[in-house]
Amino acid sequence: MLDRIRASQIGFWCSCTLKLGGVPLSPSSTRRHKRCPDRSPRDANPGDSLMSRLKSLRSKRQLIYLLDLLRELVVRDIKVRYKRSVLGIAWSLVNPLMLLLTFYFIFHMVLSVDIPRYSSFAFSGMLAWSWFQLSLVQAAGAITGNRDLIRLPGFPLGVLPAVIVTTNLIHFLLALPVLLAVLVINGTGLKLTILAMPILMILQFVLTLGLAYLVATANTLFHDTQHLLGTLLQLLMFLSPIFYEVSMVPPRYQTLYSLNPFVHLMDAYRAILLRGTLPDGIVLLVLGGVGACLLYVGLKIFMRTSYRFVEEL
Amino acid sequence: MLDTIIVRGLGKQFRRYHADRPRTLRDAFIRGLHRLKPIDRFWVLREVSFTVASGRMVGVVGRNGSGKSTLLKVVGGVVRPNEGNVEVHGRIGGLIDLGTGFHPDLTGRENIFVNGVIAGLTRCEVAKRFDSIVDFAELEEFIDSPLRTYSTGMQMRLGFAVAAHTEPKILLIDEMLSVGDMAFQSKCMQRISQFKAEGCAIILVSHDVASIQQLCDEALWLRQGRLVAQGDPEVVVGQYLAEMSTETQRHAAVTPSTPEHHEGLRDAGEQELFRVT
Repeated sequence: MLDRIRASQIGFWCSCTLKLGGVPLSPSSTRRHKRCPDRSPRDANPGDSLMSRLKSLRSKRQLIYLLDLLRELVVRDIKVRYKRSVLGIAWSLVNPLMLLLTFYFIFHMVLSVDIPRYSSFAFSGMLAWSWFQLSLVQAAGAITGNRDLIRLPGFPLGVLPAVIVTTNLIHFLLALPVLLAVLVINGTGLKLTILAMPILMILQFVLTLGLAYLVATANTLFHDTQHLLGTLLQLLMFLSPIFYEVSMVPPRYQTLYSLNPFVHLMDAYRAILLRGTLPDGIVLLVLGGVGACLLYVGLKIFMRTSYRFVEEL
Repeated sequence: MLDTIIVRGLGKQFRRYHADRPRTLRDAFIRGLHRLKPIDRFWVLREVSFTVASGRMVGVVGRNGSGKSTLLKVVGGVVRPNEGNVEVHGRIGGLIDLGTGFHPDLTGRENIFVNGVIAGLTRCEVAKRFDSIVDFAELEEFIDSPLRTYSTGMQMRLGFAVAAHTEPKILLIDEMLSVGDMAFQSKCMQRISQFKAEGCAIILVSHDVASIQQLCDEALWLRQGRLVAQGDPEVVVGQYLAEMSTETQRHAAVTPSTPEHHEGLRDAGEQELFRVT
């Protein structure tokens, strides 16, 4: 278990271990196809206002239910992961620290990249990236790893990828104190702009979740998507400014390079954490727009395909 | 009485694929995408229509592969029908897999919450029913120990106890009346009758025809996905059993391949008989 966790964390710069990334047992839920689940044509008469009030009550309950489900499944995943380990929750601190050490050694001592306060720089990028990468790797198994939940009548499948992205968000949050410590020790200090962090996290969450739906769908139809995904993610990591600066990319590739939303997301994280400036509002708006579109398309495809999931497994 | 489940002209088609249908992207590219298309389609269910009113229990009989479980999946909304439609009014509960989402490392208490929420209750609803669930499962002393320390019977009890507290309007049961010891079985039966009395519409799929005759108000007989008979459980089950026994006899008559073999057997039997006497 511990080996698996460690492997999955370290795996993000050594993508050959991506396959070990661990497919969590996370269930989720959303009604598969609308089949007028709770409205009978017969009760439509007794007054529409009552009916619509009842309906809104129902959807309110449904919303509470979905949030409860998300919460229970996330808590279960986190509890299960740490329950029988000696270090417990401290693992989410140990792993990033080991990564930091490795990165520091390679890029500062061996390759000597010329970026001031390199530890802060690399670590902030790495943490955000590992949230994204682990989410997608695990999302590949969101459906295939949860056969029993998929067969459950009325289970809202759409929760499953959300559980994975949220679980990894929690790990990200747990590692944040380490990042803050590194910022202080490294001499970067804490800037007030750090308060803008939740905005960036929401953007990243939406972006990741949209892709997670697509990956979960693809992997159910073609079981080796996860292997391809490993390679693609590694490629994307090197195409994102995780351990080098955007300005180091040759000018003639800049336009092409900036098509990667992670370029802007990483840069925004660096702006608020290291430079103490607020990121460009327009860039954030575009990122939000891209994320919303991805989420819409991803969810749509996921829901459309979901009725086939049981037959495909 | 309201019809809670309405099934009209239901048909479900399964696709048969190439034996070497690409299951992976790599194969799909190497062998060509055309093999992704099914070579053959066949109907697992065809022209099935019935209704279940609230407070009624319908039993489904039929041989293996006659489409019984697929019927439950379609009614449960897990699989989408190819023709006809299914209307269900109210929350569906399933006694198909007990204890979905149970994790051996979590305590009984934690598992009740996870399993209850997965089964369709909000956290608040699970909390309200918690004591009653524990009481039903008779596991008060063990509720804070990890599930892996439970016996199989205890886990099953916990699973059923949670399922019994979900208050579904529709209950789908697949071959699960044979779990646990006698005492627990009768407790399950009691709970199921109670569901019925509370107005739950129940579909029971079982090979145990006696329990269908005992419990159900109506029976359906499926043969190769088609409805052969439907109505009074005594009558339908009787017809089903009659066909089963003629089929068994036909099998018995046909299978012993050669007459010599047959006679040899009889000889051996007679010799055996002689020796005994």
